[in-house]
Amino acid sequence: MSLVIPPPPDFTTHEEEAAEFNSAASSRTWYHYVLIAAALLFAAVSVGFVGTIVWNSAPEWAHHTGTLLGGNGWQSPSGPFGGLAMIVGTLETSVIALVIAVVIGLGTSISIVFLIPRRFRTVVATFVELLAAVPSVVYGLWGFLVLAPWMLKTVIPWLNSWPFAKELFGNVGQEDGQSLLLASVVLAVMILPTFVAISREVISVVPNDLIEASLSLGATRWQVIREVVLPTAKIGLFGATFLALARATGETVAVALVAGGVANVQFHLLYPGTSIAAWIATEFGEAQGNEVAALMALGVLLMLVNFGLSLISRWLVSRQRKVLAVV
Amino acid sequence: MSDMIELEEPTAAGHRMRDEIRQISDKVRRRRQLRSTVMTTMCAIALSITAVPLFLLLYQLFNRGLPVVLHTGFYTQLPQTPNLITPNATGGISNAIIGTLVLSLYASILAIPIGVLVGIYLAESDSRLAASLRVISQTMAGAPSILMGLFAFSFIIRDLHIGFSALAGSFALAVLMLPVIIISSEIAVRGVPNTLREAGLALGAKPHKVSMKIVLPAALTGIVTGIILAISRAIGETAPVLLVIGGGYINSWKPLDPVAAMPLSIYENAKSEWPSLRTEVWGIALVLVVFVFVLSLSARMWASRKQQAR
Repeated sequence: MSLVIPPPPDFTTHEEEAAEFNSAASSRTWYHYVLIAAALLFAAVSVGFVGTIVWNSAPEWAHHTGTLLGGNGWQSPSGPFGGLAMIVGTLETSVIALVIAVVIGLGTSISIVFLIPRRFRTVVATFVELLAAVPSVVYGLWGFLVLAPWMLKTVIPWLNSWPFAKELFGNVGQEDGQSLLLASVVLAVMILPTFVAISREVISVVPNDLIEASLSLGATRWQVIREVVLPTAKIGLFGATFLALARATGETVAVALVAGGVANVQFHLLYPGTSIAAWIATEFGEAQGNEVAALMALGVLLMLVNFGLSLISRWLVSRQRKVLAVV
Repeated sequence: MSDMIELEEPTAAGHRMRDEIRQISDKVRRRRQLRSTVMTTMCAIALSITAVPLFLLLYQLFNRGLPVVLHTGFYTQLPQTPNLITPNATGGISNAIIGTLVLSLYASILAIPIGVLVGIYLAESDSRLAASLRVISQTMAGAPSILMGLFAFSFIIRDLHIGFSALAGSFALAVLMLPVIIISSEIAVRGVPNTLREAGLALGAKPHKVSMKIVLPAALTGIVTGIILAISRAIGETAPVLLVIGGGYINSWKPLDPVAAMPLSIYENAKSEWPSLRTEVWGIALVLVVFVFVLSLSARMWASRKQQAR
């Protein structure tokens, strides 16, 4: 008859509500503080990472910047410690490796995405990614125990039979076959899976609509690749290239095993040389005093190059995402 | 009228022209096809050039490594230095296997909690700190591993005076693993649908409860995958441990003892003058590669299994 109005199920006073809100807020801050503490700890670690290496190299930068950047030769106990040979060696090995890896790797990724039968694609892609996970010391071992003797027995006599061999490669007579060229080849084999893994992914996300539209206009398979796929994937491919370059410049033990470890500016590729990272690894064990600071200074150089390359590649990959979003 | 008759019966000149056009277009088409065939063949050649050295590497690894790893003593004995009387006495690599396990264990203890927490923070915060940490973690993820060794040397050994030890090595590896774990955890937590979070909050759960009981379980697959990948990367790294672990010749689990590690044994045995050590090194490399492959394959399977379940 008369309308019964049910009482509100749960009546809270203003104060209670405020208290509950506050407790929620305080538990939120408790959780939040843990997260922020972890974040700050990581920030401290990364600042410490850059800071300690720079700090420990400071004495060498303060007095011998010119020698570090432009001096040739490394006189072990007391100096001078010239870094030019390592800088040049790093540039030579990583650029040659990059050229080999990008040319061959691009063809490989194109064939993985467009040429081989669909059911093998996942298998091949998984295989490539597994190879990218093989520790670099294993690549170095293979270069050192298999490729170097092979270079010595087969490749070098063959190169020496060329006309102008002496002018091109220098007077080749290395005992164990270790050289800058071998280091570049091992680096190329090592960064190939990395480059292929990334570039395959970049190529395979090119929208199918574009490819089908271009095929329906009568383009051949190569025209589709050349005119549609590669331009669309261009920026991402540059990103992959820079990542591969960053990996090649930072590689340590593989180069330490096969480059020969001679700190002398060397443009003949069949002579032994070294790179920044490899030199740090081989010399650090016996280094003392100023030499440690000089090796740390080489580490700072390596860090600058690597961080620069990473930032560029990161920027390029994010631009690629925007390009694909527009398409 | 006369115009239409001309169109219906083309002149001889018209026929000629049509044929010429056909010929030219055929030529163009054939040239395009030829070009396409040549270029795709070159891509296929590139694929085989990639495959040859990598298959050779794996073949030689198994071919030379298998005879070594089939002896049980290889896993249980300590290494011996060959001498002129017993040039083939190489012993085993128990210290290196234990060292690698110890290093990755302590590195995981150091890196996983912080890494996962920072990943969650990055996924749930839009502050300026989060933005800069994102850039920092991506940059650190690609940093040359030798720099981690330099960092561990200057911080743990020089500043804290701890000495060459498993702890210094695992610190270096933890710094290496951190960014990988952070990035993958952030991606995993971001991938959790917002409706789940909102449902939890709407039911009155407190934010940290939502995060712990709803978001984390949902993101667990991605986080675990990232952790396994980080460990598999850390296991194979030589450069950071080369500078700081000291290369112990005993089996030790203690964090302050110098330890050995498999990548380091590979690096050092490869350079040895003894042929027997140079043979043994393939066995160590095979064991290491199998470790890494098992880890990354299990990460991959774990990820795909959970994806199917969803």
